[in-house]
Amino acid sequence: MPATNAAHRHTSIVRWVSIQRVSAVAVCLILLMAMPISPLLAETNILRIRNYSDILTLDPAFTKSKNEDIINECIQNKLISYKPGDEWGWQLMAAESMKQVDPTHIEFKLKPGIMFSNGFGEMTAEDVKYSFERIADPELKSPYAEDWSVLEMVEIKDKYTGVLVLKKPFAPIWMTSLSGISGTILSKKAMMSVGEKFTTTPPASSGPYIFKEWKPKQVTVVVRNPDWKGPKPDFDEIHFYPIDDEKTAEIGFEAGDIDFTRISISSLEQYQANPPKNATIVNKPSLYYSWMGINAENPMLKDARVRKAIQMATDIPSILEAAYFGQAKAATGIIPPGLLGHRAKTMVAPTADPEGAKKLLAEAGYPNGIDITLDCLNKSTIVTQAQVIQASLAEAGIRLKINVHESGQFWVLGSEKEMGEKVKDIQLITNRFSSQPDPYWYTMWFVTDQVGVWNWERFSNAEFDKLHTEAAVETDPAKRDAMYKRMQDLMEDAGCYRFITHESAPIIYRNTIVPAMSPEGIPLVRYFKKA
Amino acid sequence: MGFYIIKRLGLAAIIVVIAVSLLYGMIHAVPGDPLSIVLGPRATPEMRAELNERLGLDKPFIVQLVTFFFNVMRGDLGTDVFSERPVSEIFFSQLPFTIGLIFLAIGWSAAVGIPLGCYSAIRRNTWIDKLTGVFSVGTITIPSFVVALYSLLIFAVHLKWLPAIGAGNEGDLLDQFKHLILPSLAVGLGWVGYLARLVRASMLEVLGENHIRTARAFGLPERTIVLSYALRLAILPTVALLGVGIGYMLSGAVFAEIVFARPGVGKLIFDAVITRNYPVVMGSVIMTTILFVLSTTIADLISAFLDPRIRENL
Repeated sequence: MPATNAAHRHTSIVRWVSIQRVSAVAVCLILLMAMPISPLLAETNILRIRNYSDILTLDPAFTKSKNEDIINECIQNKLISYKPGDEWGWQLMAAESMKQVDPTHIEFKLKPGIMFSNGFGEMTAEDVKYSFERIADPELKSPYAEDWSVLEMVEIKDKYTGVLVLKKPFAPIWMTSLSGISGTILSKKAMMSVGEKFTTTPPASSGPYIFKEWKPKQVTVVVRNPDWKGPKPDFDEIHFYPIDDEKTAEIGFEAGDIDFTRISISSLEQYQANPPKNATIVNKPSLYYSWMGINAENPMLKDARVRKAIQMATDIPSILEAAYFGQAKAATGIIPPGLLGHRAKTMVAPTADPEGAKKLLAEAGYPNGIDITLDCLNKSTIVTQAQVIQASLAEAGIRLKINVHESGQFWVLGSEKEMGEKVKDIQLITNRFSSQPDPYWYTMWFVTDQVGVWNWERFSNAEFDKLHTEAAVETDPAKRDAMYKRMQDLMEDAGCYRFITHESAPIIYRNTIVPAMSPEGIPLVRYFKKA
Repeated sequence: MGFYIIKRLGLAAIIVVIAVSLLYGMIHAVPGDPLSIVLGPRATPEMRAELNERLGLDKPFIVQLVTFFFNVMRGDLGTDVFSERPVSEIFFSQLPFTIGLIFLAIGWSAAVGIPLGCYSAIRRNTWIDKLTGVFSVGTITIPSFVVALYSLLIFAVHLKWLPAIGAGNEGDLLDQFKHLILPSLAVGLGWVGYLARLVRASMLEVLGENHIRTARAFGLPERTIVLSYALRLAILPTVALLGVGIGYMLSGAVFAEIVFARPGVGKLIFDAVITRNYPVVMGSVIMTTILFVLSTTIADLISAFLDPRIRENL
């Protein structure tokens, strides 16, 4: 029995010691995990940017989203780029000088000493020629071919100098083709080495940062370029995190996991009232344009008086209050403030006039109102827009039924190719496009050629089409401005559009950094500095 | 047992074929034009025609389906229309993140739920049993996204103990584990209640059976009776449930992957459906279906191993 007791005691002691050891390890683990993580991260020289989606390709010819352009701007060069600040404009990037010789000739001279990584040598005019002509080449089937459709050729004068020869004058070339994604310069040698094709791993970089790695749906990492001859970038690494949900990004920012992110409009007021410690909030005007379209070829809406009654009965301030929490301004057309062609005001006042609308309906033969439908996307902001429109139209006796669609279904509603004659069944539709910072890219979707493609209102006006063509080649800014204003007057006067808003782009960033942004709040990350 | 395994695997293969055929039909029945989404507004008719041909969308549905199965049998799940990477490579790059999340979620919920259910059954009708009941029902009814958001606000934003987003640095296991804690808490909490209630009910049933009474009559210690005799049988429904649970979470963890901005299979499929990236949708769905059927089959085999009566019934 004593032996049994001793064995039992020994077992108990061993068990007790084991419990103590396990507990000690557990406590250490808990303490380790409980250590605040943000200060540790803050000490590292890594800039953490949130992108709204993952990259799919870094080939500028096939870019799918702005996020890819944001990363490309860090690791590649363009002749010119958008200027950081609140006014739209451009500045020199890889070019030492740019000169408009005449309306169809632009001469450029590259800065010497811009090196491509992976041993692909110095950037030359040959690389510029290759990059621009590659996108313009119909064989490549780049969706951006239109940016360079007016390019006849790039003439090389010497190692650093060349001339862009255009088939005809093209005013948007400065603010879109050259400054936008299509203006990215790739290394010809590097491209040849990969069979002129790559997706997420560029064969060579030339920017202040170079591509390091892409972990799908996790992070894209760029690091400081040791061969960069320009001003030394402030960060060792930049991490781009793909986070599509804005609320998640906000939590990530507050938890200290990211340094710069766009936030939701619904959170803006709360952040302005209670900003997180050491953070700055800015609200930028966006390049989006949101409107309610009215189908001119729908039997019920063929009479312009009915369409104008709908315009008149839609209360824009209520939409802005309910769907945008009062943080966005009413649009005066499709072209946002800051760009050529922006109108100071609309022809139909933003505030609804239900009595005027009723009168117009009665004149059109509908004294008891009408029953119509509105198709919209299933996003909460857009559904709220639709509900407010429904309520304001009801005051004028217009009974509205809302059809909410999932994105894949929505984006073919006005396509004749997909829907055939059904496109004429559309009555009202709320829509939202984004664009590049030149009015040409705003009006292009509303010409007669686009009816049944992206012109779902089936608006067709010969004067509009003529102005669109002429404004593209007009180089006098004042004349272009007047032309685009007139085009928006024609759109509104046809009764096919009720312009809603250009929205806004609220942004939050840590005070440890000094960001650089385009006027619409797109981060120009290569110019970011440490505070 | 060998014959049972063969029969069970045969059944699993049939289920995979039927499920994938149905899903294939459903995906193609969803309205929307994949070409417009993939190519964007500036696509020319030639570009659309080329992609249509590349995706095989110009062929009759049945031809597309047969071609798909034929390719799958050769190990070809297709190619992502955007990045042009093989779907198998994309899927298997995301799978470890989801597997890690699921196993940690199921692991901690089983580690808490099973003992809780056992204890509750042993202490039947005591205040502990009632308290456990309230706790279990509470965890079942709290939506996972609420747990996710509150855990983020408390542990990531206010206390800053744990990271909020991402999956952690590659090669840094501690960092990856830290990134898993909150998502697995959110995904697993509901399972604690389920498992506790299920184990309690099974235990009560088994504890009333003759062989338990006989064991007690022989004077065996209560702990031996509970752990070696009762729990071995009472755990069977739980094993089956865990099998289904693991399969369900393969795609069901999508909310955690979105809220915590984590990579994973659920998020991969979700994004692919939104962008009508058919090859990724189909390749991921077939792999998920296979893993689902596999996990339930393994659970069935374990049940059959533990209880010979089951394998005689198939």
